[in-house]
Amino acid sequence: MSITSDILRGHTEAIILSNLIEQDSYGYQINKDIMKKTNNAYELKEATLYSAFRRLEQAGCITTYWGDETVGARRRYYAITDDGRKAYQGYKQEWHEAKEIIDKLLK
Amino acid sequence: MDEKIRQYFSTIFADAPKTRMALDLKQEMTQSAIDKYNDMVADGYSEKDAYQNVINSIGDVTELFPEVEEKNLFALSEKDRKKKAMMTACAVGMYIFAGAVFLFFGMLSEYLGDEDIMMAIGFVMAIVICIPPTVMLVYAANMYPGYIKKNDQDMVDQIKEVRYHDNKEKAALKTIHSLIWTITFLLYFTISIVTFAWNVTWIIFLIAACVQKIVQLVFELRAEEKHL
Repeated sequence: MSITSDILRGHTEAIILSNLIEQDSYGYQINKDIMKKTNNAYELKEATLYSAFRRLEQAGCITTYWGDETVGARRRYYAITDDGRKAYQGYKQEWHEAKEIIDKLLK
Repeated sequence: MDEKIRQYFSTIFADAPKTRMALDLKQEMTQSAIDKYNDMVADGYSEKDAYQNVINSIGDVTELFPEVEEKNLFALSEKDRKKKAMMTACAVGMYIFAGAVFLFFGMLSEYLGDEDIMMAIGFVMAIVICIPPTVMLVYAANMYPGYIKKNDQDMVDQIKEVRYHDNKEKAALKTIHSLIWTITFLLYFTISIVTFAWNVTWIIFLIAACVQKIVQLVFELRAEEKHL
């Protein structure tokens, strides 16, 4: 399990970008989606999630804006940029290549 | 229970830089934790279990503020700190030694005659002895690296803070300096007029210069400690 979570942690940015391609979202919602997609097997630590947001924001892959909730707390939403889409395609390409190689090596 | 979660985040963000970014982040993460907590309670988890789960899923917050770690890297290591303290102590010792040498020659001249020459030799020797400790003090004061890498927002706050402290410290230092010199002049004239030992009493000025240096040093060390 520890190898799995190590690999997953290494792809935090790609996982977030993949989520944001579908729709703009906020931190907790993204984590909920991840849990749903993995049948509650995997969840990002908050610190991991938010430090990935900061890195992506600094790299220009995502932008943020405050939601206009009228009730309850205001949420900070994240949206993917064109640079972010390009970066995501790059990630995906690399992952497929790595996966192929490892599949060949671990028969 | 919301309040308990908020408090928990306040504790873990206590060491975070005091910036807008950190504040936003804290609010964002707190809200996220509260949302999660409420969802879990709604799903039927006990309040205690939900709280524990929320706290466990926060993870290591130091990864959010890599610059906090960097700051520590730029501080002096324990070894350098000891070296600096040692150098300062040696320098002060040597200043005192220089004063003692000068006094010794002054007294010697009383017994041996040849007063002027003995005094001159004593003075020159004292000055020469003062050179190494001065070099040491200047070096010790410059041992700290010149800058700390942080993001822009932090830098502005930091410069503001440094300036504020610098101004206050400079003012205090100036006051102490003028006090030292006033007292020196008073002592010089009082002692000289009473004892008529004009040839010796001017050593008071040397002592005053030493005292001034030491005061300045103490201020510098304190200021540096504060900035770190």
